[in-house]
Amino acid sequence: MNKLKLNYTSLSFLPILVCIPLGYQLINNIHFGGFKLFQEFLISAFNPKIDNEIIITIIKRLNETIFIGFFSWLVSIIFGAIFGIISSNIFYKIFNIPKFFYRIIRFFLTIIRSIHEVVWGIILMQIYGINFSIGIIAICIPYIAVNSKVFAEQLETIDYKSFESINQINAPKFSSLLTLIWNPIINTFKNFGLYRLECSIRSTVILGLFGIGGIGTSIFLSFQTLNFRELWTYLWSLAILIILSGLIFKKIKFNTTNKILSIFFITVFFVTILFSFSYFLYFIFNNNFENFNFVNSFFKSSSDLGLFVFLKLILETIILSLLSTGIAISLPPLVIGIFNNNSSKIFIKIFAFLLRLIPTPVILLTLLTFNNPSLSLAALTLGLHNAGITCKLLFTNLDSQDKRNYIAMNSLGISKKTSWLLGLFSQQAKSYLAYCAYRSDIIIRETAIVGVIGSVGLGWQLKESLSSFAWQEVTIVLIAYSSIAIVGELINGKIKNSLT
Amino acid sequence: MNNTVLELENISYKYKNDLILNKINLKINSGEKIALLGKSGSGKTTLISVLNGTIKPTQGEVKLFNESFEELDRKQKSKITTIWQDLRLIEDLSAEQNVNCGLLAENNFYFAFKNLLNISSFKKAHKYMKLCRLHNSIYDKKIRKLSGGQKQRVAIARSLIQESNILLADEPFNNLDPKLITTIKNLLLENVDKNNTKKSPKTALVALHRLDLLNDFDKVIGIRDGKIFFNIKRNNLKKIHLEKIY
Repeated sequence: MNKLKLNYTSLSFLPILVCIPLGYQLINNIHFGGFKLFQEFLISAFNPKIDNEIIITIIKRLNETIFIGFFSWLVSIIFGAIFGIISSNIFYKIFNIPKFFYRIIRFFLTIIRSIHEVVWGIILMQIYGINFSIGIIAICIPYIAVNSKVFAEQLETIDYKSFESINQINAPKFSSLLTLIWNPIINTFKNFGLYRLECSIRSTVILGLFGIGGIGTSIFLSFQTLNFRELWTYLWSLAILIILSGLIFKKIKFNTTNKILSIFFITVFFVTILFSFSYFLYFIFNNNFENFNFVNSFFKSSSDLGLFVFLKLILETIILSLLSTGIAISLPPLVIGIFNNNSSKIFIKIFAFLLRLIPTPVILLTLLTFNNPSLSLAALTLGLHNAGITCKLLFTNLDSQDKRNYIAMNSLGISKKTSWLLGLFSQQAKSYLAYCAYRSDIIIRETAIVGVIGSVGLGWQLKESLSSFAWQEVTIVLIAYSSIAIVGELINGKIKNSLT
Repeated sequence: MNNTVLELENISYKYKNDLILNKINLKINSGEKIALLGKSGSGKTTLISVLNGTIKPTQGEVKLFNESFEELDRKQKSKITTIWQDLRLIEDLSAEQNVNCGLLAENNFYFAFKNLLNISSFKKAHKYMKLCRLHNSIYDKKIRKLSGGQKQRVAIARSLIQESNILLADEPFNNLDPKLITTIKNLLLENVDKNNTKKSPKTALVALHRLDLLNDFDKVIGIRDGKIFFNIKRNNLKKIHLEKIY
């Protein structure tokens, strides 16, 4: 008997097996009472509400979203670059600082990064109440850590010989550092910066669902009142914003040799740092911190969280991450492979766009209209949303790939599906899996969002503990969350390294 | 009078389990032009890296102007300039920005900043690039867009702009045509400044493969398996010496 041989292509499809237990639980949990609501939700997509009042609201809400998104992006990208520099090898080599500090900073940033912005948002809202600036701070905290990782990774690619060469010139240490890091920093900003702005806007929308403000809050309110036509007006306006910003980003080209533009960027850089510090001081001195004393609240609160329940929640979060990752990895190649013709491709692209556009809490709430809350439903939601993202990447890579193998196989009479699989996808499978490994890091963090709404895992427990001001429980849950995310990042890092 | 500028005392360098340099003693006097001969992998590059302080020897001491290299400050160390065999230019910067990097030691942070923003003066850089026969059409081109010979000359211009008294060069004539080799060799050994006027004699240690270029050197050092086999005046160089190292 032939042995099953695993290769990158088969590994891309194998995770779809998660659909067996997932489908079983979903079918068991189905209830038909909400189908009419779901139907209404779908129909409203083609009949959004349009009147003067809603247009004014949209403009106001989008302004808020752009404002929060833009400022949190600006602050997080600048401080991300700064932290990226001080968490990179080159910094410690130039200044001869012991590696011990390098490890401490990296560890600290990993912890900050492991907690999703929604979690930061909920905690900060609980402490300070709903505040416009909470949105910016909640996004900035994990984003600075995420951006710093990307900048640091780029700085690690600096050729050691260039370092030796500059070092041998015996220039002042800051001059050497600046000369070596300048281009990697600029290139990272060019390749990654604008994508992070899009992420920042999406995060603002999600935080809006939890009451921070902006278009997200309007989406949530219209969902709560089951006003689907209004909901779709907000979703389409968000779609227009994302499409338009994508088109603008494509047009923007940074010319670092343009002196005026360079000086403008440097000015923005320093003004943002100054503004952030002054705002931080303003925030500290204008909030009544006597209302919240963490140490006091921490020791006064008690934890009723039993060990068994706690372990169950951890296990649920891990299973939720695994199931969602399975869907996000396998669904796009499977669907593209099966429906491999031009008209289906357009349909899949639109569907993937909608999955990316509609915030996960809204997808989950919509699915909850005809299915009971369960781990499978939360996994399906998270999996579908992320499949929308992996699908976009896969399409981009496949479209830019050399198609000669595919054409040659087709001309030999091999079926279109097999030619696609062996002639096109097989060449992309390795890099696709490497990206999925990176994506699964994000999925682990996003389990918090679906957990809060879908009554699953640590996310749900966090919400419960916060509502009852049980700060000991909150701390335990956060430590557990952070540990899962860090272990996940380590495993995914190993997988990524073996794939690249 | 002791006019030793660079001195190696019982230097050994071990990388993993390999002994790359084995108990090397060497004195380089002011104004001396020394050719360093040896086959590939004999330890020439490592010797140069030890001399300029890039590599710390496993054993022994390096002295610059009779002081331990470790104890010298940045300004004193900058009296040595190096042309690396693999050039070690910054690929994403333009040719003129790379040459200006040679001025980083004598300038402050603001200069480095202006250099990267392209708003610093490139006057001095251009003069040295011109001396190296680099055409002005390549001044603002990124390194990765230049040919091998052009890159070589940018690296040489970066070294010359430092106007250092001690030159260490590791096969600096690679990628150059015979006419250019003569020009560059004069530039490197005769210590001309940006105005093409001769200054105090330069001390130079140049690793070479081509024996026809030895005429301008005072001394020849032969190295094999990390050991100095001979350290003699050029006029005394015989075939038998070369047979020992090749």
